[in-house]
Amino acid sequence: MSETLTPTPSAGDDAGTSADTQKPTKYRKRGQVAKWLSIVWLVFLVFTAVGASWLPYVKHSCEQFAEKADCRTHVDPNPLLSERPPFWATFSDTTRPVVGDAPERVGLFGTDTNGFDIFSRSMFGARNSLLIGAMSIVFGILIGGTLGLIAGYVGKRTDKVIDTIMNIFLSFPALLLAIFIVGFFGSSGADEAESRSIGPIILALVILSIPPIARLVRANTMVYAQREFVLAARSLGAKNGRIIAREILPNVMPAMVTFAITGMAILIVAEGALAYLGLSVSAPTPTWGSMIFGGQQKLETAWWMAIMPAVVLFLTVLAINLLGDVLSEKFRIKEAIG
Amino acid sequence: MRYFGQKLIQLVIVVFVVTFVVSLALGAIPNAEERIIASTGQGVFTEEDRNAILDEVHLRDPAVVQYGYFVKDLVTFDWGVTFGGNQSVRSSIWDGLQISLRLMVYAQLVALLLAIPLALLAAYRNGGVFDRVSTTVSFGFISLPNYVLATVLGLLFTVRWKIFPALSKNVGFFEAPFDHFKNFFLPTLVLALPLAATYMRLLRSDLINTLQSDFITTARAKGLSTSHILFGHALRPSLFSLLTAAAVNVGALVGGSVVVETAFNLNGLGRKTVVGIFSSEFRLVQITVVVLALVYVFINFLADIVYGLLDPRVRGARSV
Repeated sequence: MSETLTPTPSAGDDAGTSADTQKPTKYRKRGQVAKWLSIVWLVFLVFTAVGASWLPYVKHSCEQFAEKADCRTHVDPNPLLSERPPFWATFSDTTRPVVGDAPERVGLFGTDTNGFDIFSRSMFGARNSLLIGAMSIVFGILIGGTLGLIAGYVGKRTDKVIDTIMNIFLSFPALLLAIFIVGFFGSSGADEAESRSIGPIILALVILSIPPIARLVRANTMVYAQREFVLAARSLGAKNGRIIAREILPNVMPAMVTFAITGMAILIVAEGALAYLGLSVSAPTPTWGSMIFGGQQKLETAWWMAIMPAVVLFLTVLAINLLGDVLSEKFRIKEAIG
Repeated sequence: MRYFGQKLIQLVIVVFVVTFVVSLALGAIPNAEERIIASTGQGVFTEEDRNAILDEVHLRDPAVVQYGYFVKDLVTFDWGVTFGGNQSVRSSIWDGLQISLRLMVYAQLVALLLAIPLALLAAYRNGGVFDRVSTTVSFGFISLPNYVLATVLGLLFTVRWKIFPALSKNVGFFEAPFDHFKNFFLPTLVLALPLAATYMRLLRSDLINTLQSDFITTARAKGLSTSHILFGHALRPSLFSLLTAAAVNVGALVGGSVVVETAFNLNGLGRKTVVGIFSSEFRLVQITVVVLALVYVFINFLADIVYGLLDPRVRGARSV
């Protein structure tokens, strides 16, 4: 992710779009495969994230195991299984002592220092990361979209005021603004690390996402507000609210949805960056960012602790971006920000 | 002229609001007084000591007075000393700025040097093997969060192969050029690769448009060599959006490389600010944020002005 947090949807590929229709079917098929792969991955991720507590790979307590060595959970520490590489990683060994019949390699993603299973933690992390990303972008769209519609439709002074406010927000370095919000308003007391909940993080990410969305919607609204069908609706006596809701909004929607998808990827990454700086949801609840951050300290002895959640995060962002790309090609969205 | 006037008015408003908000942000922080007292780290205080410290930061004055002091200090470069240590805020920021600027310049250079030739190659054989491979790879890099890239490169270069130090030190270029290279290589790469991917995609799509124009056909008909056509004729008219992105990224990179600076333990401006937030060095944070915001605002203002000069259509448009 470029750290700017300013989404560049599909990087302005309108040249590629027009060429795509003439491309041989072979290449189009390849795009289809990528699209379906990313859909499958995202569906899988949402499914495991929602059902993380009920799915069989997560054992809730070590009591159900006869052998202590088999116990892999995301809640109960198990020193017997500390820092085990994943079962397929025959090229790396654990640096921890192997006691009795405890396996040398275990699990799809290995285990971390506490003996937690990294795969199940990644899936619980998906729950938090996806929830944070989705909630932030929904609120961002609601607030930013409304502001953009008003600015683009009413125009004149209202437009100037809203645009200036957005410029002010944009002028602060994005990540620093988020750190400031989470760092100072996230914790209630002097104890920074204690009891940080999901709320302030979402607040920070919403504030980050409002200005770009508002700008995009404003630019699109301005185009449609001048069209004949709006004039026609107005001459039929439609009120402003109706024109915005029934005439303009459906036209602006595709751009908004596409942007929301790309934006969600960016926000998930931003949450990871906050977690990486030690500023996300506090300890027992994993997010991908905090898992990567935790694993980085152990990079020399246990690479899988940082790399596996990083791979999951990367694949997710890639899948979301791919979908956003497909959508923006479908709707023929050009760069509307500027 | 009206266009420039409007831009100027907006600039003044934004600068005013940014400084005003930052100067008052101190009062909005919960327990600001306790935090400041705690960060001075001198233990028990009499009421007078307490008041003296708090008077120094003008926390108890009315908003307008606070703002007045803030602007006065800002313009006269009287930025005081950090609460905790005895380093002056000015030299602290200057140290950080040097590192951040270095990183920014290196990253931009590497990104542009990578992006321009790759984009030219890709656009020239649009739809060919190289084009498809490079587009796919660049798409991957765009989706790669920089802390993930930092982790992976760290694993490969510092843990496995031990080529570069895991924690970069700020070694000056003229003191030890080779050490300097070693210490700045990884951070630069982490910043530059995703940037290069973005630049490449921007330039590629613009180049494809340009290469379809008539004057390229003319140039080809004249029998000019491919490299002459690409560099001499096609590149310049396609640079517009690339340069825009590069300009915007200047501001973002100076303050925004927080993650990379943290990953490689470089005491740049971004990391200093984050550490400042954690250790309640409000003065340092305030000044840094204001300086960064102003840099960003001025760069954008200059970019707008340059567009207005270059492209008369922008001036006429209703968009602000």
